[in-house]
Amino acid sequence: MRMSVKLTTQAYCKMLLHAAKYPHCAVNGLLVAEKQKEKKKDSHSTPILCVDCIPLFHGTLALAPMLEVALTLIDTWCKENKYVIAGYYQANERTKDFRPNQVAEKVGARIAENFSEAAMIMVDSTRFTMGCYEPILAIYDHHENKWKCRDCNADCFEDWCEAQKITSALLEGRSYESLIDFDNHLDDLRNDWTNPEINKSVLHLC
Amino acid sequence: MASVSEMYDVTWEEMRDKLRKWREDNHRNSEQIVDVGEELINEHASKLGDDIWIIYEQVMIAALDCSRDDLAWTCLQELKKQFPGSQRVKRLAGMRLEALEKYEDASKQYDSILQDDPTNTAARKRKISILKAQGKSAEAIRELNEYLEQFVGDQEAWHELSELYINEHDYGKAAFCLEELMMTNPHNHLYCEQYAEVKYTQGGLENLELSRKYFAQALKLNNGNMRALFGLYMSASHIAASPKVNATVKKANVKYAAWATNQINRAYQVSHARYLL
Repeated sequence: MRMSVKLTTQAYCKMLLHAAKYPHCAVNGLLVAEKQKEKKKDSHSTPILCVDCIPLFHGTLALAPMLEVALTLIDTWCKENKYVIAGYYQANERTKDFRPNQVAEKVGARIAENFSEAAMIMVDSTRFTMGCYEPILAIYDHHENKWKCRDCNADCFEDWCEAQKITSALLEGRSYESLIDFDNHLDDLRNDWTNPEINKSVLHLC
Repeated sequence: MASVSEMYDVTWEEMRDKLRKWREDNHRNSEQIVDVGEELINEHASKLGDDIWIIYEQVMIAALDCSRDDLAWTCLQELKKQFPGSQRVKRLAGMRLEALEKYEDASKQYDSILQDDPTNTAARKRKISILKAQGKSAEAIRELNEYLEQFVGDQEAWHELSELYINEHDYGKAAFCLEELMMTNPHNHLYCEQYAEVKYTQGGLENLELSRKYFAQALKLNNGNMRALFGLYMSASHIAASPKVNATVKKANVKYAAWATNQINRAYQVSHARYLL
């Protein structure tokens, strides 16, 4: 029985804000989960909760060096915060193209090496609306070196109603204008890819 | 909803200047351009003089990005009235058709421009953009190569081609495009740095060493380029760790990596200090 992946509002929110900030670009990023202390006996039924999202790049995703830098820095940050990199998301440049490509599969596989239950998430921009009435993700699990798509519905969220409400509110308020991804950080080191201000906004609206 | 001038306490002149800056920097901040531009057009058209035409063009393109066909249509009509029969306006009409995903109609529009003026580069490039929008990467690449055989100095086209190749994971050909750009722009640190990234991605010891050299070159051209600094660290580290290098090369690269680490730490310290100020 595969462990299912669940997303918190903060994780879902920042993913969509990232895609909204760069509607004409491909975007990608990582999802992190809290590191599990011990393996419980019934661990098969406990879903992996992705508590946060780190937006990485926009535009050209298929180059290696900055991705490696990001993975290294974020890995260090994860260790300091008792997180583990648990997933990868990507929204393709063309709206109608929501299948995982070589980049998604490669990065996903790399994450799966360190975290066997890693999820790969593709954002379906054709269903992206300000109202956020339905989840617009396709979740893929790594199984025998292949990625298999799983249905994404309200069950994939810690609290779908909250996620829907807050994501919609932040989109309306154009919070994506202040979202920072790793590319922005490389442009100016003061830009904080943990997005503390947006995290505060999410908490505020909860 | 409050106007832009009210919200940000800016004058119409400041709004006009902002639009110009965004034009010059080729920023694609379409929502902001629509906000500022729409207000400028609606409230201050008479004050703008001849600037208004280029503003109509800029706002129209931004409006297409934001699915504001109403605004795009208005701008287009004004431009059609002022410049009847203009190729430049025809191209904008074509772009509107593209935004509405009427690719065949858009293509016909560009073909009609090219019939009158076969050297019209803008129309040719729009046709290639249509291929890109339709996901026909191989065709887009082919057409762009043909275009560049004729218009060998078009840097925007070389850069677009390098990106198309990168997305197809054809790093060798992407590198070739960036080499063209570096040749004609030897002081551009961004091309140097991108070339280094492509070489790094290609992999293999020789490419890693090349990438390190070009990261270093980018850094020399602009010592604030963090990607170049990180890239220098990564490439030097990988070379030093490679079993194929001799002791001298290993030692040198360990030194480069250590230097880069130092510089990176300093850069973070400086940024944090500035952040706290």
